[in-house]
Amino acid sequence: MPLKTLKKETAETLTLEWILHVKNYKLTLDKGLCVGCEICSLACPKEAITLQKQPKTAEGKTQHAKVDVNLEKCNFCGICDVVCPYGAIKVTLNGGHAVAVVEKESFPQLVREIQVDTTKCPVDCLECEKACPLNLIKVNLLTADGKSVRDSTALSREEQKGLKVNVSIKKEQCPCCRICEFKCPEGVLRVRKIFYGKISINTEKCPEGCRECLDVCPITGALYVSETDGKVHVNELFCVYCGACKIVCPVNEALTLKRTKILHTPVRSGAWNKALERLASPIEVTKELKAKGSIKAAESVEKRFKTKEVKT
Amino acid sequence: MAQQEKLRIGVFICHCGLNIAGVLDIKELVEYAKTLPDVVYVKDNRYTCADPGQDEIRKAVKEHKLNRVVVAACSPRMHEPTFRRTVSEAGLNPFLFEMANIREFSSWCHPSTPKEATEKAKDIIRMAVAKARLLMPLQTIEVPVINKALVIGGGIAGMNAALDLAEMGFKVYLLEKGESIGGHMAQLDKTFPTLDCSICIEGPKMVDVGRHPNIEIISYADLISVSGFIGNFKVKIRRNPRYVIAENCTGCGECKDVCPIEYPNEWDMGLGVRKAISVPFDQAVPLVYTINKDYCIECYKCVDACGERQAINFDQKPEEIELEVGAIIVSTGYDIYLPYDNQLFGYGKYTNVLTSLEFERLILAAGPTGGKVIRASDGQKPHSVAFIQCVGSRDANKYPYCSNFCCMYTLKHVVQLKEKYKEDVEVYVFYMDMRTNFKGFEEFYQRARELGVNFIRGRVSRIFEVPETKNLLIHAEDANLGMPVEIEADMVVLATAAIPKKGTEDIARILNLTRGADGFFMESHPKLKPLDAPTDGIFLAGACQGPKDIPYSVSQGCGAASRAATVLSKQKWKIEPIIAVVDSSKCRNVTTKCGICAERCPYGAIKAEEKQPAQVITAMCHGCGTCVAECPADAITQMHFTDAQILAQLRTALEKNPEEKILAFLCNWCSYAGADLAGTSRFEYPPTIRPIRVMCSGRVDRDFVLEAFKLGAGMVLVAACHLPYDCHYISGNWKMKARMDALAPMLQKLGLSPERFRVEYVSAAEGVKFAELIREMTEQMHALGKERIKAENEKLRPVLENMLKRKGKS
Repeated sequence: MPLKTLKKETAETLTLEWILHVKNYKLTLDKGLCVGCEICSLACPKEAITLQKQPKTAEGKTQHAKVDVNLEKCNFCGICDVVCPYGAIKVTLNGGHAVAVVEKESFPQLVREIQVDTTKCPVDCLECEKACPLNLIKVNLLTADGKSVRDSTALSREEQKGLKVNVSIKKEQCPCCRICEFKCPEGVLRVRKIFYGKISINTEKCPEGCRECLDVCPITGALYVSETDGKVHVNELFCVYCGACKIVCPVNEALTLKRTKILHTPVRSGAWNKALERLASPIEVTKELKAKGSIKAAESVEKRFKTKEVKT
Repeated sequence: MAQQEKLRIGVFICHCGLNIAGVLDIKELVEYAKTLPDVVYVKDNRYTCADPGQDEIRKAVKEHKLNRVVVAACSPRMHEPTFRRTVSEAGLNPFLFEMANIREFSSWCHPSTPKEATEKAKDIIRMAVAKARLLMPLQTIEVPVINKALVIGGGIAGMNAALDLAEMGFKVYLLEKGESIGGHMAQLDKTFPTLDCSICIEGPKMVDVGRHPNIEIISYADLISVSGFIGNFKVKIRRNPRYVIAENCTGCGECKDVCPIEYPNEWDMGLGVRKAISVPFDQAVPLVYTINKDYCIECYKCVDACGERQAINFDQKPEEIELEVGAIIVSTGYDIYLPYDNQLFGYGKYTNVLTSLEFERLILAAGPTGGKVIRASDGQKPHSVAFIQCVGSRDANKYPYCSNFCCMYTLKHVVQLKEKYKEDVEVYVFYMDMRTNFKGFEEFYQRARELGVNFIRGRVSRIFEVPETKNLLIHAEDANLGMPVEIEADMVVLATAAIPKKGTEDIARILNLTRGADGFFMESHPKLKPLDAPTDGIFLAGACQGPKDIPYSVSQGCGAASRAATVLSKQKWKIEPIIAVVDSSKCRNVTTKCGICAERCPYGAIKAEEKQPAQVITAMCHGCGTCVAECPADAITQMHFTDAQILAQLRTALEKNPEEKILAFLCNWCSYAGADLAGTSRFEYPPTIRPIRVMCSGRVDRDFVLEAFKLGAGMVLVAACHLPYDCHYISGNWKMKARMDALAPMLQKLGLSPERFRVEYVSAAEGVKFAELIREMTEQMHALGKERIKAENEKLRPVLENMLKRKGKS
């Protein structure tokens, strides 16, 4: 059979496929998970991913940008799969999840440092579960004989004695906003952000009553409307620096977002350096390269961008 | 320069035994010749071409100080070279010789009317003398030859051409568009009819090419431009960046192992994948890896793996190379038609339908499935396979020609399948005709039949897919049984047409090659020059000229090498000096934008740059004279066929009783040869025509026709090679046709009876047609009657005189 290339879009997914006689490459974008941020489009080495602004809903709510993948440019390398902070893209080979760039160590993975010390969890506390803006946390209780229950009150006293709390988190879909950590009454959760950076809104430039950034922000609480001036402000504590807001902001430079650091597994990769250049800045790349001891590579980036001033 | 010396013409009249003397009155001819202007010596010989006859010419030239020689004997196509040599031995320039054809054109075709035949012979001799008076000495042109060759395309034909030339001691540049030489043969599993492994026999040859000190492979490169001419071509090539430094790459493949990216491998017909840094196949020559930047993500893992060898350079740029060569061999090969546009077969739509070349990659042990024939839909081995022949080929709506090797490779595939899976697989072949006409082929067909393959003669009308099983239902007509058949197969293999290689049109443009209706390159002559392109110094080998199997391609490669060596082995190349010359003082291109000559030249041998007089590139000019006839300012002259010479022949021919004569312009290669054949076959026709030989019908100027009618000619005939492809100068006959198509209605409007001006196409084989044509025209001429012709001419003359005067020709 000759090579077949396919692109299919439904309400739930966008699918790209290479069907060869002996192999099948598939990229699936889960539209339910995608928040229309800019991470994948910036990281894609083939510039195959584009974002398209969407019209407002009938209720006047802004919708997040739509991600489109160009079948002619995509090479199914899986970098989008690796970098998506929301775990919305999956690349498979013959049906199995396989990201060649990870297997061959030619692209790092994002590091999601989420620690849960469930021994300290109070029984029947669901604060983290309730707090998670993306509904990624499930809390349940395990009896001594391994039975899983939601509610301890239904159990006998005997059974209640040996109860263990289990907190399961869909890690691969977690952008690490840290809301759960802050909402946890016992300090059980420890979360480190994946992306570090700086976001600011110049409210003077904001149009009156504009809520576009707020409408699309997937992290409840990262953006809020101030009662004093009626404009949207940032709570940097929870922002994951995904950039979904930046894409929809209608005014030039009303919202600025800069990523400075990305937690990732240690891998030497040109593709990562380029992605980092676009996700953060060339300065961050030289910093990282110097830290890794790749002085020569760092110099070449500096030369390319003529940016010597490495400020912290 | 010509007329300082007083003309002294010698006429030698040949008896040719009784061939001429048996019909014509030689004595009368001798006496007549003596009366012609500037003729100082006339002699008749029994056999002028024999040694004593030639001796007499040599002696006479010296004794009588002859400075022009006319031999009235047979066809110039027979003995012109002989007598040119004779006069040159006597110290005379060979181009001061002219032949009067009184055998084929008179004694042989008018045996029953000796009187009229003698009169015609007199006219022919008079015409030859008239031309001889205006002949000028010409020097054969010599150009130096660069003793290097370029072979374009490194398939099996090109490789053999390169190897043979290299073995003869010539430097060869082998240009290959792809990453490796080897061509289609390197894609094949087995070869018919012996079933020996293709790469096992080709691989060593590829290595030989790669190692030969006289061969330089320039791979992954495109031909940009070619200028110059035979012996002196200037070639520009662009080497595309591989992003791997060839000198540093050891071919170890460590880079490939670390590369994370895979993409569909064209070499596998997209059935399998290759890495973003890889070679298309393991035996590639040169063994240099290539990075495909369309897919590479630039992770630089390969750079790390390559390490100290430092063979990878992501900043590599395309590189332009300039070469100088003396000869070029084109061996660009073919492509396989992918029948996406043919709904009947479901290719690209139904998963288990594939082409033969895809099947080849499937059954090949080094292929993407490791030699397992499996279905794409379920990965299972098929239990029934149907092969369908002539997909696209022999199809009036697609490719009307036969693709030559499909019958044989299908037989190979069915034998392979049957021998591999035995009774486990049922095999069907739907065919129109099984063409097995070379050594060992029919025996191989027999072997397939003995293995129990079902051969069904008939065209497939439609294929349907069974949605549940992805099996295929084939509807066909069994022509032998005369009834429809339906067969369910697990897999369908289509033997699709071989088509001209992608880019053939670019190569044709760059090298000024012609292509046939099928799109393949045209050879110079289908029988006698099968390896020569119409442009001198360029040769064709292999499937670029039409689909060919391996042994045929190899023979052609070797043949083309030996053809090229006829050029390369010389220090100097001689060119016939009958070329076109531009009089720059008359050329209009200096003042206005003209360039008609450059546009009409079939060989691209004329340059007409803005505000410059047009320039003929001597070595590229083939001497057809088309430009001469086309030039609106009469600024171009064809040597040895000048306007003055032809007009002198024409005027002489029509001196007496013009209204009883048919003035005929015959092109040297087809029509003149056809008329010769009428003579040699002794087809009798009325002695009414007065022939003028031109090299190509494209030389026939409009003014010649006008002049003939002005002088009162009864009829005018322009005879050429057949359209569309017979012209020996590519398209001279087409240019003539366009010219005459415009002229004919104009003459009719002026009152000329349409039958009096004729354009006909007569091939060298059509002696009968020529004789019939003259018979028919003579009848028409007699039917019109002398009086009517004269009356028409009276009416025409003032207008024609006016037209010709304006051009300063009368």
